[in-house]
Amino acid sequence: MIPRLQAADVSRSFAGTLAVDGISFDLNSGEFLSIFGPNGAGKTTLLKILAGVIRADEGQVSIDQKAVEASDRSWRSQIGIVTHQTMLYDQLTGRENLLFYAKLFDIEDPEDRIRESMITLDVLEQADRLVGSLSRGFQQRLALARALLHNPKVLLLDEPYAGLDLYASRLLRDRMSSLKDGNRTVVLVTHSFEQGLELADRIAIQAKGRFVFTGSNEGFHLTEFEQLYWDTLQECGF
Amino acid sequence: MKYFSVVWTVARKDLLVEMRTLERLTAMAAFSVLIGVLFHFAIDTSLIRAQTIAPSLIWMATIFVGMLGLGRIYTIEDENRALSGLLQSPISLDALYFGKVLSNFIILLSIVVLILFVFAVFFNLSFPEDWLGRISLSVVVLLGVLSFVSIMTLLSAVAVNNTMGESIIPVLVFPLLVPILIHTVTATNRIFANRPFVEIEGNLKILAAIVLIFLVAGASLFRFVIEE
Repeated sequence: MIPRLQAADVSRSFAGTLAVDGISFDLNSGEFLSIFGPNGAGKTTLLKILAGVIRADEGQVSIDQKAVEASDRSWRSQIGIVTHQTMLYDQLTGRENLLFYAKLFDIEDPEDRIRESMITLDVLEQADRLVGSLSRGFQQRLALARALLHNPKVLLLDEPYAGLDLYASRLLRDRMSSLKDGNRTVVLVTHSFEQGLELADRIAIQAKGRFVFTGSNEGFHLTEFEQLYWDTLQECGF
Repeated sequence: MKYFSVVWTVARKDLLVEMRTLERLTAMAAFSVLIGVLFHFAIDTSLIRAQTIAPSLIWMATIFVGMLGLGRIYTIEDENRALSGLLQSPISLDALYFGKVLSNFIILLSIVVLILFVFAVFFNLSFPEDWLGRISLSVVVLLGVLSFVSIMTLLSAVAVNNTMGESIIPVLVFPLLVPILIHTVTATNRIFANRPFVEIEGNLKILAAIVLIFLVAGASLFRFVIEE
């Protein structure tokens, strides 16, 4: 099977400090990878490299075995990204924000696609309100609608639950579970074991820029994984 | 066609956000009026002809007002890290640059019109009466504003990923403003003095060349300063 998303020996340093240190992995179509790790482990940097927001110093990222080149920006339409920052404009309405991104991604029939995306994420009723006036939960669901607008093959999620209350978090998780449709490859970076384990097929623990544990999620219990996490970090000198 | 559509989409979004907040426009307009009022009381027009002093004051006001407003070009992109969303999209970065240049050009041009109006009121400044003079003045304003905006759009992006923030902008911009100011002020002076067009033509050609060089350099270098 041709891997959908592939990272080969990817490294990136900032001012002499290695943030990502030779990370490699393959993800097939429909697979869901959850990455856990302490603050400063380089998880967000890795996700930004996968999204093409920053460049790797070394190594290569491929989608469907096609290496992503900095000069060719077309592959970016195959990737959607959601972080704890919504990447939306507070002064525009939800619909205006999505229309803006739809034009950037050159989506056909943008109005229909926006409506469809908003219905999926249950944000249609607030579509014409300024984003700045919406609750954090609504904003985050809109951010997910934005990321899914161009129907990306790969979805990258960086702490999407950060700052959400329990209800908003549950709502977002319900919507995210519908993303496991067997076609979309998802990479989730999170500190929450519960949320990360719930949907993951594969798990990685990142520390000091490296993947110090990778494996399949074969029914890990929360406490069992918690123990594995702390043991692994202790072995790495944390 | 798609390229120009992206340029307009970026510019339209910036203008829409600006019209909703009026954050930069209000500050720039207030500063323009303040400069006009200040010089009205500072300069004795019975001793110095308004036509002589106004061109340099108009361009000085434009540069300071421009620095004030255009230095904050990327503030809206910083909010909620919208810039990452733009960088993750498949649009070419030079289209993003030209979109930003277009929106800033429209904003600064509207402020320059206000500056001209303020000086006309406070200094009783009479504009050229012949069509050639009026067209020449319009071309000088368009080229002067475009060259300033093209360089500000590029160098303000440096502040996004720089620990010095907006304070680095004047250090980088002022040396590049020298050729722009020399030719805009000289041309504007000659237009207000009703000098023949042949004396202005050279300045216009050099300004057009500066605009072209700055736009090409801006579009080429933009990705190096905007990407993390």
